[in-house]
Amino acid sequence: MDGPDRAQERLQARAPEMELIREAQAGSRVAFDALVKQYEQQVLRLALHLTGSEHDAEDIYQEAFLKAFRYIGNFRFECSFYTWIYRIVTNLCLDQLRRRKTRREDQAVVLDHSGDEIDVLSSVSDNRSFSNPAKELDRKVLGERIQAALSKLTPRERMVFELKHYQGLRLRTIGEMLNTTEETAKNTLFRATKKLRTQLAGLR
Amino acid sequence: MNCELAHERIVLSAYGELSDEFQHELDRHLAACTECSEERQQLLALKTLAAVHPVIEPDANLVARSRLRLEEALDSLPPRRWYERFGQSIVNNFSSLQAAPVAACLLLVVGAGAGTLGGYEFAEGRAAHVAGRAQAAEAATAQTAQQNHAQTVAANPAEVANISSIVRQPNSDMIEVHYNQVVPQRIQGSLDDPAIRQLLMLASENSSAGVRDDSVGLLAAECRAGHSCKGEGMRDALIVALRYDKNEGVREKALQGLEPYVSEDMRVRDAVLEALLYDTDPRIRTEAISILQPVEADTSVRQVLSSVATSDHNPHIRTVSREVLNRAPVIQ
Repeated sequence: MDGPDRAQERLQARAPEMELIREAQAGSRVAFDALVKQYEQQVLRLALHLTGSEHDAEDIYQEAFLKAFRYIGNFRFECSFYTWIYRIVTNLCLDQLRRRKTRREDQAVVLDHSGDEIDVLSSVSDNRSFSNPAKELDRKVLGERIQAALSKLTPRERMVFELKHYQGLRLRTIGEMLNTTEETAKNTLFRATKKLRTQLAGLR
Repeated sequence: MNCELAHERIVLSAYGELSDEFQHELDRHLAACTECSEERQQLLALKTLAAVHPVIEPDANLVARSRLRLEEALDSLPPRRWYERFGQSIVNNFSSLQAAPVAACLLLVVGAGAGTLGGYEFAEGRAAHVAGRAQAAEAATAQTAQQNHAQTVAANPAEVANISSIVRQPNSDMIEVHYNQVVPQRIQGSLDDPAIRQLLMLASENSSAGVRDDSVGLLAAECRAGHSCKGEGMRDALIVALRYDKNEGVREKALQGLEPYVSEDMRVRDAVLEALLYDTDPRIRTEAISILQPVEADTSVRQVLSSVATSDHNPHIRTVSREVLNRAPVIQ
């Protein structure tokens, strides 16, 4: 199928959503609720994975949709609503990651899903000579090591890696969401993978 | 391809962001470069490791809790006022304009064009309006100037360069005098108008023979009719014309104009006597004799008549003079 046909198809698929957005812009709460239902799973999934905290994810969800409600009048259909709402969420997540980065400058801790803080590095063995992680560490600890490595990234690197690796978005879309170019997003991803490899070198 | 570029492309390749063309180049490089091949293995290992920290779907409780909290927050928001919605719509419209740069540019160009044109039209209209007012003012000034022209001419007779023509309207006492200043002008008025009289007197001295003839004829007629021929220089103008004008027709008219004043005005009488003695035109001299008849008792008149009757070279003049003298029995 050629490009114009696909674009036409996308437009047709988005037509009901555009109608909902217009109604929400006109002040319809029902239309806005429908939009929330459409995106809430994705918003929570991203926030939960990025912050590692249900509480933070809930806060980000709340703040993101309140902002969307307040500023939906500014949405001008220049990008998809998906990109727009993700831009709000990623900005809130970045703020959260920055706050956390400052707070954890001297300690490597993450929150588990129940909200309790755990010190990841203290639970990881210093012996990096092992060759088979499946035998030496259980999956949980490995996950925590990875979380710890991710937390060493800058908030922006963390965000790009999250959106690319875990959410599977295109670099161009990531650039749009983060108000930057595809090239910058690519370079950020490259730096993130390099850092992670360094952090997780002993785990191979 | 160098290894640094290859490392970047390995990442892109791993995440499906590399084009087929670059993928092919990368594959060839990896086949030949052990270091980059190792790099690729490490990245794939990272991907495998990262998968250990999977994305977890939020549980239903979290979703429900978050939604409830959001709805409460939304319910507690005050409804937007009409002016907020209005302001928002304005902002949106402006944003739409920004979003359509071509339309914005077009509007700008059209607006600028219309503005320039409008401004030009306005300026032109304004200029015309001002000019119209100026013309009206000028017309009013001209009218006033015409009314006050007597004073102007009287005050500045030197401004009149010459008199080009004088026309008397038929069956009317209206006289039209065409005279030149630095800018040619025209004035219209009755013979009683001091300005007209002033111009007629000027015409009697300075203009062409025709103009002099017209002006002196009119002045003379005025004097013969007895209309204020005193004190305004009209009589003087006729005397000058009688004495010095080169045109006999003009002199004759001046003489006729002076006739009523021969008996009462010594200066007029002297001028007429001079005409009788020295004028080159016999008709004027003859006429002067007839004019002098009422004052033949004046010794100076009689002396002149006697002189003329005896010694004038013109027989007709001599005869007429003698007849006049003979008709006067009382001689002083």
